[in-house]
Amino acid sequence: MTAVENPTPQQESNTYRPSPAQRFAPFVTAAVVPFILGATTGDMNFWWKALITVVVLAVVARLAWKWTPRGELTHREDMRLWRTPSDRSWAAATTFGLLVLPFILASDFTPPMDFPWATWFAVVNLVLIFAMGAAAFNLLVGYSGQISLAHVAFLALGSIVGGIVGVQWSGGNMWLALPAAAVAGAVVGAISGLPALRLKHLYLLLATFGFHFVMMLVWREYLQEYFGFVGIRFKGENSPRIASWLHWLPGIDPDQNGEFVITGQFRWYWVLMPITVLSILFMVNVVRTREGRAFAAVRDRDVSASLLGINVARSKLFAFALSSAIVSMSGVLASFYIGSRGEDSFNVQTVLNYAIIIVVGGFSSIQGAIFGSAFFWFLPEWFKWAREELWFVRDIDFLSDYPSEIDLAIKGFLVVIILMFKPDGLAGLWRDFKNWLGRSLARNKP
Amino acid sequence: MLLAFGNFTADPSVNLQLLIGGLALGAIYAVVALGFVLVYKSTDVLNLAHGEFLMLGAYFALTFLISENLNFFLGVFVLLLVMLVFGLLVHYGIMRRMVGQGFFAIVLITLGIATIIRALLLIFYGPTERARLDLLPQGSFEIGGATVRHVDIIIFAVVAACVLLFFLFFKYTRLGLHMRAVADDIEAAAAMGIDPDKVYAMTWAAAMVMAGVGGLLFGHVTGAIDRSIEAIGLRAFPAAVVGGLTSLGGSIVGGLVVGVIEQFANGHLGTKWREPVAFSVMFVVLLVRPTGLWGRKDLERV
Repeated sequence: MTAVENPTPQQESNTYRPSPAQRFAPFVTAAVVPFILGATTGDMNFWWKALITVVVLAVVARLAWKWTPRGELTHREDMRLWRTPSDRSWAAATTFGLLVLPFILASDFTPPMDFPWATWFAVVNLVLIFAMGAAAFNLLVGYSGQISLAHVAFLALGSIVGGIVGVQWSGGNMWLALPAAAVAGAVVGAISGLPALRLKHLYLLLATFGFHFVMMLVWREYLQEYFGFVGIRFKGENSPRIASWLHWLPGIDPDQNGEFVITGQFRWYWVLMPITVLSILFMVNVVRTREGRAFAAVRDRDVSASLLGINVARSKLFAFALSSAIVSMSGVLASFYIGSRGEDSFNVQTVLNYAIIIVVGGFSSIQGAIFGSAFFWFLPEWFKWAREELWFVRDIDFLSDYPSEIDLAIKGFLVVIILMFKPDGLAGLWRDFKNWLGRSLARNKP
Repeated sequence: MLLAFGNFTADPSVNLQLLIGGLALGAIYAVVALGFVLVYKSTDVLNLAHGEFLMLGAYFALTFLISENLNFFLGVFVLLLVMLVFGLLVHYGIMRRMVGQGFFAIVLITLGIATIIRALLLIFYGPTERARLDLLPQGSFEIGGATVRHVDIIIFAVVAACVLLFFLFFKYTRLGLHMRAVADDIEAAAAMGIDPDKVYAMTWAAAMVMAGVGGLLFGHVTGAIDRSIEAIGLRAFPAAVVGGLTSLGGSIVGGLVVGVIEQFANGHLGTKWREPVAFSVMFVVLLVRPTGLWGRKDLERV
């Protein structure tokens, strides 16, 4: 750590410490510039926006790279979330990208070859919701090793809590429903995790699957009792709103009747993006704490973990509660975003979809959940576009005759191929790409 | 307490009818559970695609027996042969590379196979539902005011015969001995000169053939043949678990027990209670005896 332990003087000169202002400057730039762009360039051409975005992305990433502490790190610096220059520059660039994305997506733009720009905003919002749910699923199944198929049960729980607290009690108050769903999800999740104390692997999978069917019964009973077969309406008069005492916030200008209703893709993005990013950051940080390391220890060998002084039962239940709380919250968000939930909204196929997402994205990696859900939702869009517009695909009648079936087949084949040849999925590919980039950019080639 | 739920009745003929319906359903569950058991017993894989395998069998039965109008026995032979080839394909194409992978990765790959089969069946057969098969005798007779269909008895007989056949196979043939050895300890078996690859291939082929038989039988009792019949794979889980995932005979007992309980829940509490009740039974059995009634207990080393 200090020069006393390390007698060679040139090591000392290898250590670089940016000032705090320098350290945070890239992130501040990344956070501020999009809003200046968005506020001042309403009538600007799409291509200008894209160009400015790319330039600022590069600048922000470069600054973050330049002003990262390097050389000999203190323990605290070594334990940071974004440790290396590359981590920091990707983080800054992602921050900028997430903030500028809605302005680009909302711009009036006709892409070449009718690329499906207009539908992308909806897909991006769905990706955000699914990424949150899939990351929590991955935390439980991949990272903590507690195999659970009760995922959709908690989405349904989120819809039930959203229905009771958000619709029946308060007529569209999503802000009340979200914490309520988190609490309910944590409690019910811990209860559903009880079999994990006795069962493992296969048998745990089957037990949680039983919980799925019990929850589906509760969901149907609740629906029939209060809403009948039409299902719950989360839109219209039940849409979430921004409370009137928050209307002074920048960017919020109320409608004629003095309300600010969250509707339309642009407004939803600003609700979903922060919640998703915060919950994913939360999970990434949990993994780095003592509790999170205990999850991994219990996954690898629970008997050894208990010998190390880890309370295995507590750790397992905590993993279940945490994951279920976040999944329930994503269930509330999905209900309010999609706008209605009926009897057929939840089925076994939805569990399989989440499984596909985490396999394609990368098993036991939270990053993989994001890649996976993006891939899951963009694949049908790309495929649809290719079927309609690409000249060498358009003429194959077979593809346009069975669009959704081929979509399904592609997903199935992908799962099989990825599990056979690239078990760490898209997240693994991304890691390989970064390694390759690092190697080719390095001054002294290893 | 039970009265509050639904139309609980003590009428003996209704209960007899439910019992017989439950046994018929249980026989189907036993067919499916036997497929799970075969695979799990020797390869330690939980095959979530078995419902899709069964659906494949039912659709092939449609093709060979109805569309091609083959002679019944010839048609069944061709059906089982095709299923056998598919089983070998599943092993040599996919499952062979997954040996030694983590438990959940293998479960997920069977889900991938299930998705592929579902998509391909939709492409080649379309989403329209077909009438159920009617090649086995369709009549019925009455016992004490309850109707018994001939098909149900045939199904039950076929399942019992299959279990007996597999039992004899595992006990008295060389290949069966190899399968048991590989299931016990793959490395020791390989050291003794057994080729686990071949054994696994045979296992998958046997499971596929069993799914072909199951599809043929289930095609006779389901309402209509369409993509929803894959659900039988999931619904038969409790049966397989209650009987024990490594016990051939257990699949029959588990199937019948779960079938009867489910049918009584259906009759007295309502259709929506079927799956929750069946899975609750499974849950209780899991908590009391985690390996089912007759399952093999695994030792865990630290």
